Amino acid sequence: MNTATDPSIIASALARAGFGARPGEVTGIAASGGFPAWVERQLHPADDPDSDLDARLAAVRLRIRYGAAKDGAWGAMDEMRPLALLERPMEALWPLADGKSKMDGAERRRPRDEVIAATLVRAVHSRWQLREVLAGFWHDHFNVDFFQSDTLAATLPAYDHAVIRPHVLGNFRQMLETVATSTAMLLYLSNRSSRAGAANENYGRELFELHTLGRDAYLNDRYDRWRDVPGAGEGRPQGYIDQDVYEAARAFTGWTIEDGAGVDGKRKLPETGRFTYVEAWHDGYQKRVLGTEFSPFAAPMADGRQVLDLVAGHPATARHLAGKLVQRLVGRHPEKLVEAAAAEWRKSAAAPDQIARVARLILLSPDFLATKGERLRRPLALAAAFARATGLDLVPTEGLVGAIAGCGQRLFGWPTPTGQPDEESQFLGTQAMRGRWALLLGLAENWWGTGAVPSPVALRTTPPTPRTAVTAWLEPLGLAERPDIGAAVLTGLGWPPDQVLGPPAAPDTERRLARIAALCAMAPAFQSV
Amino acid sequence: MMNLNRRALLRLGLGSLALPGLSRLAFAGPGNEPPQLLVLLHLRGGCDGLNLVSPSNDPDFLAARASDLRVGEDGFALGSGATAGTDFRLHAAAPALFELYGAGHLAVIHAAGLSAGNRSHFVAIDMIERGIADTTALLKTETGWLTRCGRGAPAGVVGCVSVGATPSGEFRGLGSALALPDLGGGLLPAGGPQVASVLANLYAPAAGAVATAGRDALAALAAIDRRLPRDAAGKVVPYAPEGNANYAAAGELARPLQVLAQLIKMEVGLTSATLDLGGWDTHEGQPGRFRNQVAKLSSGLGALWEDLPGSRDRTVVVVMSEFGRRLRSNKSNGTDHGRGGIALVLGGRVRGGRVLGPWPGLATEQLDEHVDLAVSTDYRQILTEVLTETDGRTPAAPVFPGFSPSAPLGLFRT
Repeated sequence: MNTATDPSIIASALARAGFGARPGEVTGIAASGGFPAWVERQLHPADDPDSDLDARLAAVRLRIRYGAAKDGAWGAMDEMRPLALLERPMEALWPLADGKSKMDGAERRRPRDEVIAATLVRAVHSRWQLREVLAGFWHDHFNVDFFQSDTLAATLPAYDHAVIRPHVLGNFRQMLETVATSTAMLLYLSNRSSRAGAANENYGRELFELHTLGRDAYLNDRYDRWRDVPGAGEGRPQGYIDQDVYEAARAFTGWTIEDGAGVDGKRKLPETGRFTYVEAWHDGYQKRVLGTEFSPFAAPMADGRQVLDLVAGHPATARHLAGKLVQRLVGRHPEKLVEAAAAEWRKSAAAPDQIARVARLILLSPDFLATKGERLRRPLALAAAFARATGLDLVPTEGLVGAIAGCGQRLFGWPTPTGQPDEESQFLGTQAMRGRWALLLGLAENWWGTGAVPSPVALRTTPPTPRTAVTAWLEPLGLAERPDIGAAVLTGLGWPPDQVLGPPAAPDTERRLARIAALCAMAPAFQSV
Repeated sequence: MMNLNRRALLRLGLGSLALPGLSRLAFAGPGNEPPQLLVLLHLRGGCDGLNLVSPSNDPDFLAARASDLRVGEDGFALGSGATAGTDFRLHAAAPALFELYGAGHLAVIHAAGLSAGNRSHFVAIDMIERGIADTTALLKTETGWLTRCGRGAPAGVVGCVSVGATPSGEFRGLGSALALPDLGGGLLPAGGPQVASVLANLYAPAAGAVATAGRDALAALAAIDRRLPRDAAGKVVPYAPEGNANYAAAGELARPLQVLAQLIKMEVGLTSATLDLGGWDTHEGQPGRFRNQVAKLSSGLGALWEDLPGSRDRTVVVVMSEFGRRLRSNKSNGTDHGRGGIALVLGGRVRGGRVLGPWPGLATEQLDEHVDLAVSTDYRQILTEVLTETDGRTPAAPVFPGFSPSAPLGLFRT
């Protein structure tokens, strides 16, 4: 059978390049060009709007609730409010971020909470599933902890909408500069306060270690001087040492945000929250980064841009990013595939669709298609996959977000700049496993107001029994070929397998059927794809 | 239905849990002392040891640091350590730590850390968790150092716990290590016995990492859950600390410390535990942020000590961080990644009240790469002495590959 049209291969591919198949989706793809044609469509999301998703996002009402201020500055609030901040530019969000106007913290955090809600809806409903998966990947890669402060929380819509999303299938060098000049990153890695004289090294260090070359290229314990690093004499050092970090930090001095700070006695920056470059704070003298001499007194921002050119174009960056993309999409990182992806990365360095090209290479590789059942579903993906498989029209709620966090994935809230790693052990701890099971049961039983799970037509037309229910659920969950799972659920249930559960479509019957759906989805085979 | 449940439980090796009186978990019987316990508290992010315990009268220090990034007269005097004349001062936000120090239960080891130069959080943490000191050994050292100490436990015995979302790297490769962020309202799977029974059926026969994790989780959850105190209605009774122990000021450390204290008292067989306190990566605006974290650390450890009157002599708490921070501050009123850091050791058998370890000094030629406090005590020296105390023998060579202990610090009473 052709691997690209084999239903079980497509099902696993959709669960890694997306959030899992909807009922009927696998056969539909097999009949319309197979998986390669699906990938090609997914790589061009901008060609076709997603009006269904737009309508769903417009229909979301996310609760906001807080008490009145003690001094009467604001009244109590409890309302179901639309998602109004998702596309707001930075300057429109800044009044929530800067803490100057009086309002409850829930209003300041509202921008973040809206993006989290939208992320859940998009995972379940977006037709551009690959874009959603890659948006998650890049948010992890360029991690910002939006739970660190209310100020950061207020900046997330701009970071998501204007910084990450435009580039998820685009060009890495462009993305890197958009991130470097983003309000969220300038705040999170404190470059906004970096000044000539004693530069702040935070951003410079993570730029090398996390965003570009990677820790494998950190050679500090092998070489003390820049010229000792192999290749440095020719301007092509194999890796970097602390001296490169120090110099890069100098290059980014003066990259800051318009936060009203005083530049000198007379001049103050405006208060928009947007990026700006302050020449007076920049260290203009000559520098040396990765074996490359920087002339003194370069044009505004030229030093920082030259650092971005150097790190984005370094072979170690191609390898680091290719390795991470392969790991995320495939679930392991076969050496040959990483090498091929890194070669494509370098070949397409100037292409506007560099990342899409690398993604295509990975997704169409035999390694991707041959891998099945080896990658653990992350908690968000587990919830989304269950909703997609059962047809649950997911209502995003705070309770659900908390349940996903309880499995080890606090969305947009990973505390360290590494971003949430791909290591699966973090989701396999005692409480994380307990959280996974509770996540599925809670969705099925609507503990958090996420909506009712509709039972399959077959169970609504004839009086269902545990046996017919298990059979009917295994199909959409992609477990139709696993009757052993059905048997394990049936015996564990303890309900007589062939006794009618209740009248079709009655509330009690539906509740029992939904519970059976969750129990089937708790199987180890649904946890990995 | 009962029979099916029982069979499923037996397949998981949990049968005895359902049968009163047959538990293999009772450690605290007569003549069966609870084990020695090693607790690791990681200060994640690189704690500025020079701001926690400052050489307050060192002229090089005074010249390099803004006054709000060092401890002065307002700090607690800890004496001079190994260098006569140095006035080491503990941060003023740490009165509980000073009390423990004064009572001789807490030792301070300054200029401690990784012997090889590394200023990356993630590489440094990785090396410390694996018990090594050079990056080339990272690829050769698959497991964590606590794993290599032979800390494994049979199923159902809760020997190694990370109080958090994921087992700490010291337990890498140790299947029986648990990650428990809280004990909440009981630990059985949500949904009652029906769900537990289906899970047992689903996970017992399956292969792979998820199935193993599920089986381990079911066994551990049952083992701990049955020891949680419950009221007449079967509800889990919230944890109540002993004596005057008050965790209220310990911030995000309060819950993990109470989970630890509760696990210790439940006598589930705990031999090793890890906890984290983050927030030390103070590149910017350090004074207020640092003070807050110091206050949480101090009051948290003070509360834990109060809470464990019966377990102090069998407990050793080691506090450490991946590195210290730069001697000179940056213009963001913060400090960047440095080298030599600080470690604290707390316990009933600790010979505390002393600042230990050679002091490298802060003159330019004494600094690591001319910028940072050098490392004069390898972190493995501390851990070797701690393990010798808790395990009653020197750790075997593979625990800390390539490390040979130097003159002992003398951390414990003999």
